[in-house]
This record gives sequence, C-alpha cells and structure tokens, in this order.
Amino acid sequence: MFDKSDEQLIAKALDGNKKAWLNLIKRYEKPIYNYGIRMTGNNDDALDLMQEVFVSVFRNLSNYRGDGAFKGWLFKIAHYRCIEFYRRKRPTQGLEDSPELESGEDGPEQATLTGQGNAQLVGAMQQLPFAQKAVVELKFFGQFTFEEIADQLGISTNTAKSRLYSALDKLKTLMEVEYA
Amino acid sequence: MHNEDKSKLFGKWLDNDLNQFERTEFEQLCAQDKAFAEKVESANQMMMAAESYQPESVPNWDRVGTFEQAPRQGWWNWHGLPALSFATSFLAIVMVVSGFEVRTDDGAMTISFAQAQDPKKIELLVDQKLNEYQQNQQQALNLFAQTMQQQQLDASTKLTQYLLSSSRQERREDFAELIKFVNEQRSDDQLFYARQLNKLQDDIYGSVDSATWPAASADDPIENEE
Repeated sequence: MFDKSDEQLIAKALDGNKKAWLNLIKRYEKPIYNYGIRMTGNNDDALDLMQEVFVSVFRNLSNYRGDGAFKGWLFKIAHYRCIEFYRRKRPTQGLEDSPELESGEDGPEQATLTGQGNAQLVGAMQQLPFAQKAVVELKFFGQFTFEEIADQLGISTNTAKSRLYSALDKLKTLMEVEYA
Repeated sequence: MHNEDKSKLFGKWLDNDLNQFERTEFEQLCAQDKAFAEKVESANQMMMAAESYQPESVPNWDRVGTFEQAPRQGWWNWHGLPALSFATSFLAIVMVVSGFEVRTDDGAMTISFAQAQDPKKIELLVDQKLNEYQQNQQQALNLFAQTMQQQQLDASTKLTQYLLSSSRQERREDFAELIKFVNEQRSDDQLFYARQLNKLQDDIYGSVDSATWPAASADDPIENEE
C-alpha cells in the first residue's frame, strides 16, 4: 500500500540511497532469476546471470529515461546480458540454431527445480533455439505484448509472432514427449 | 490464408487484441484448419504451464555488491532539461513573431528578427542622407568656384602687370630713340648750318678778296676749321 514506485526508488538510488536500490532488487530479483533459469536451464547460471543483469542495470540506471515501464527496460537489459552469457557458453552456436544438448547437461541442475512440471517445462524450452526461446519466455512468462517483445529484442512485431508460431510446433512435440 | 496471416491472427489472439471480425475469422480457422487448431491448443497448454509454473525462490546472493557507487547522472539526464528546452524554444518563437530588435549604432550591436522596417523611418533616413549629400556637394561646388575665381583673378593681374610693364618699356625705348633722333637731327642741322654759314662766309669773303683783298690770312676761322 505504501510501496514506492519504481521511479521513486530509481531516483533515490541515483542519489546514492543503497536501501532504495536493494528494495528495487528485491522487487525484481525473483522474475529475473526465474527468467535466467528458463533461459539457461541451470540454477547457478541463472544466479550469475541475475547478478550481471543487476550490475548492468545499476551502471545504466542514469540512462533510464522513464519513458516506458521499468520492467520492460529491465528485461531488455536481461535479454542482452543473456545473449552475451549464451555466446560465452556456446561460442560456436548461432542464436537461431537448435541447441546441441550435451549428455547429462540438464540433469543435476534441473533436479533442483521445484516440482516436476517446472523441470519438464524448462527442459522443453532448452531444446528451442535461443531466438525462439526468448520470445516464448517473454510472451508466456513475462506477459508482454508482441509490440513490447519486438522492442525488447530489437526485431519487428511480425518476426516476433513468426518466431513464436514456429516455436509452438516444436514445443508441442517436446511437451508431449516430456509428459508422456 | 497464408502462414504469415495466420501468425498475425494468432499473435493478435495471444495479445487479446482481436476485433469482432477477426474473432470470427479466428474461430473459423480453428474449426477448419487442424494445424492452426493444434497450434492454438499448444499455446493454451503453454499458458497453463506458465500459470502453473512455481517460481523458484532466490538463494542468498551478494545484492549489496551490485551497488558500486552512486552513478553520476549526466547533465543531459537532468529532469529540467526538456522544460528548459521548451522554454527557450518558446522564447525564440516569441522573439521571431514579435519582431525582436536590438540596435546600438555606436557600439555596432544589431540583433533583428526580420521584422519589416517602418517606411517613415526609412524615408526619414533617406532624406537625411540626401541632405547630407547635397550639403557636401554644395560645399564642394562653392570651393571649386572660389578657387577658379581666385585663379582667374591672379591670371588677370599678372597679365595686366605684364602689359603695363611691357608698354612702359616700349615707350621709354621709343622716346629714347626719338630723342636720339632729334639730337642727331639737331647735330646734323647745326653742322649743316655751320657749313652753310662757312660757305656763305666764304662766298662773301671770296668775292670781296677777289675784288679788294689779297689772299686770305691764316687767322681765318672758317678756313682753319676745314
């Protein structure tokens, strides 16, 4: 009820108020952490990614103009951090290529996920190309419109729709296999 | 219907942005197109999976470590900048529209914003310039006339002096010539008369001597003179 808005917390953080910054982190760390899990398929990688995202957000906080929702801006940064993370992990693989899963790559980490449903969903998503996975993540978990997704990923709205359209075919098969 | 159109319709459905016509089209497509219907079903499953997804709790991590130091806000991020920009733009527009004009003639500072000049001011300025020009021309003409007059006067004076002096000299020379001539004439006349007198004397004495007197003596002045 008395929660301060994102803009108020940002203004205070820019003035050097550490508490405001920590409040802002607490507000968004869970979505970002779970975004990381779904995008990397790994809790440790998700934690590293989350830390990189918040460091990057803090460094660029003064450039946030407040002309859009902070959540959108945050996820935009998260996406670019995630691309860098992905390229470090898989330097030879393109963003639109289907991932080549190494044996046992997802096993131990996904076992730590809460519930079987989570593990199956995350496992299915890991088999999508990065570009499609990002759209699926932002659409179904981030609840963004295609226009917002296109803005965050730096692509056209039609491309975003087309990627999701293609991803669903693959996900259907994967989910059937996972749930079978 | 092309796949691209289907994906657009599908996207609008996912964004919950279908109008009445599109909704009808969407429902027809679901009933007629099995592949499309499967895709819709798949999307529904994903939505349900996302809803049933239990977010993982965040483990403890170094949150404070992300707070490096207060990021310095650049002047271009100053919140008052758009307002200041608007105010200066508005001021500029007002200055242009109102024909802002600052003029300092001696200090040579002129700021103007294309406002039409007052015709009366221009007329006054032109008259002033013409008057100045006319006065200058008049002064120059007067000076020229005075100079010419002076030159003519000098020339006339010199000519008169020359004529006077030259005529005096000529008259003096003429008189001298005349006097010389007169003197020469008188001298000639005296000589002539002297000779005439001598001749007369000789004639007189000759006739007498030849009659009465012997040969003339040595004391005769006329004889000695000859």
